[in-house]
Amino acid sequence: MTKKKRFGISEALTRGLSETIHVVENNTGIFRNVILPLSRIELDPDNPRKLSIDLSDIREGIRPEDPLYQQKSAELERLKELAHTIKANGVINPVVVYKLGETYRVVAGERRCLASILAGKQEIEARVFNEKPKGFELKLIQWVENTAREDLTLDERLGNVRDILREYLLQHGEVEVTATLLKNITGLSLSQTTYYLAAINAPEDVQTEIQNGNIRNLDKAALIAGISSLDLRRQAMDACINGSSLKEIRGIISQNKMLNKNRAAITASTRGRNTAKINMGTTLNADVIKTIIECVVAHREYDKYLSVFTQVNWMDLRQTTKAFRKLIELMEHEMVV
Amino acid sequence: MEIIAFVNNKGGVGKTTCSKLMAEYLSKTKNLRTLCIDFDPQCNFSHQYLRMEIDPAAPEGLMPPIHPDYDPNDPDDDDWDGRSSISEIFYGKGVVPYPTYVPNLDIAPGHAEKLLSAESVRRSEVVDKVHKQLASFLNSPDVRAAYDAVVIDTAPSKGPLTISVMKAATHIIIPSVMEEQPVQGIYGMLQLWMQESLIREKTRPLQLVGILPNMFKQTRLHKDILTSLQGNSAIGKYVLPVKFSQRIVFAEVDAADSTPRSIFDFQEQHVAKSEAMEVCSHIAERIFA
Repeated sequence: MTKKKRFGISEALTRGLSETIHVVENNTGIFRNVILPLSRIELDPDNPRKLSIDLSDIREGIRPEDPLYQQKSAELERLKELAHTIKANGVINPVVVYKLGETYRVVAGERRCLASILAGKQEIEARVFNEKPKGFELKLIQWVENTAREDLTLDERLGNVRDILREYLLQHGEVEVTATLLKNITGLSLSQTTYYLAAINAPEDVQTEIQNGNIRNLDKAALIAGISSLDLRRQAMDACINGSSLKEIRGIISQNKMLNKNRAAITASTRGRNTAKINMGTTLNADVIKTIIECVVAHREYDKYLSVFTQVNWMDLRQTTKAFRKLIELMEHEMVV
Repeated sequence: MEIIAFVNNKGGVGKTTCSKLMAEYLSKTKNLRTLCIDFDPQCNFSHQYLRMEIDPAAPEGLMPPIHPDYDPNDPDDDDWDGRSSISEIFYGKGVVPYPTYVPNLDIAPGHAEKLLSAESVRRSEVVDKVHKQLASFLNSPDVRAAYDAVVIDTAPSKGPLTISVMKAATHIIIPSVMEEQPVQGIYGMLQLWMQESLIREKTRPLQLVGILPNMFKQTRLHKDILTSLQGNSAIGKYVLPVKFSQRIVFAEVDAADSTPRSIFDFQEQHVAKSEAMEVCSHIAERIFA
């Protein structure tokens, strides 16, 4: 008997069909990639990157009487480097724009646009949004594009995160901002978002140092922001500014913690029965007892007891215990007298 | 105005038959003013309603006959040779649709040579123009005012002509025989659908009405392939719940001297007519609901 033949479409074709359908169902009408004439592109005045150089400076040159002449010239030099690579290899990633009337406004990639003009290009590849992305999405795209960049300062990066959160809250109403929420929005790791939140909510003195560019590292900023003591925070910031590593700053903090802990330990709780006598505690370290006894008998008033303890074998815990009890006994006697 | 296109880059799956049935259903039974467009250089759709002529310039190709409204003595027609096909949109000329024997049904026929030259353009700026041309023609106020529905029959290709249709259409239907190669054609069309969908504005998406099983025979091959398409979670919802069976009568009405000329003119209880009513009314409900 032969087996009945069964038919079906091939696995590869089934996969191709379902994948295509999923792409359409999830991505309809979001964007398109096109080649745009650079002449129709304009910069977004709300972009978080605070480049002072603009299109007219590139097209007509920076005017010498411009108050920002110095800064703009420095920026122009850096753009020229990028223009050089664009001349050779073109722009690798398309810039992101949205349509605004007859022109296109840059969402992300203004340096690439400016450098392409410098490189003498007429067109640029762009991903075009059909409408202006909503505030939150706009900030998010700019954020995503900017995270890949290394030349943003910590202050600029924090500013971006603040912008994203502000737009998010505007769009979704007031919700509690947690590291998990920020993680879901930005796709960063939970530890990164925890650091960002700590740095954003840092006390004013820390913020000032970040703005002045004295604290440039996110991990350090987050660590210092968590210090509640004003003095210690100042100490940690100074260490940071003087180039201490994260580990060194942690060291300063943990040292301080020990001191604080000892201070707290001496204020005993008032709970339980009244205490009628003092418990001397126990130790495994005979040297502690040896040190206490030597300190006492080194005192001029008590040096007469020196001979009592000369024979003690300090390696023997039983002898040491006996010696300590003897010391207490002698001291009590001294106090009564 | 809804623009319905039957697409599949595999030939012989019944695009023309489905286009014809849909156009006749809309015009005859729904009384919608319907325009047929033949975008296939083979011009079979045009041949259903017009006596297409051999093009002396290209012996293998067909061209539309002289338009009934053409009057060589009318000065208005001075710069017109009396023939008009949908391919005039690529040459900057006006399109004059031809009336058919059905009162509400007009056709803008194909012109083999001209459609083939539009299909073969390769230079990017020209391709771009070809892509946009049909949409801009169908969006013109004159066309929109004159018709309620447009039914487009397409070439078995994925070239500029089909892309042009994708850009113009509001709805596409993919007829397919339930066999491996035509199903591969579905994939080709879904790719075009995807490319178009990604760049369309959200407010006017290109609706995929569905995959229409055509020329269906109660054989294991057809049944198994239909079942495997229906059983797939992504594809299943795009497989239409209606189908055309393999029936010789669908081909018989295509003959020039057939009577009646349309499936919809058969008696009420005719099996082919009731099947056509079922399929077309289902599709029409999805589109015009």
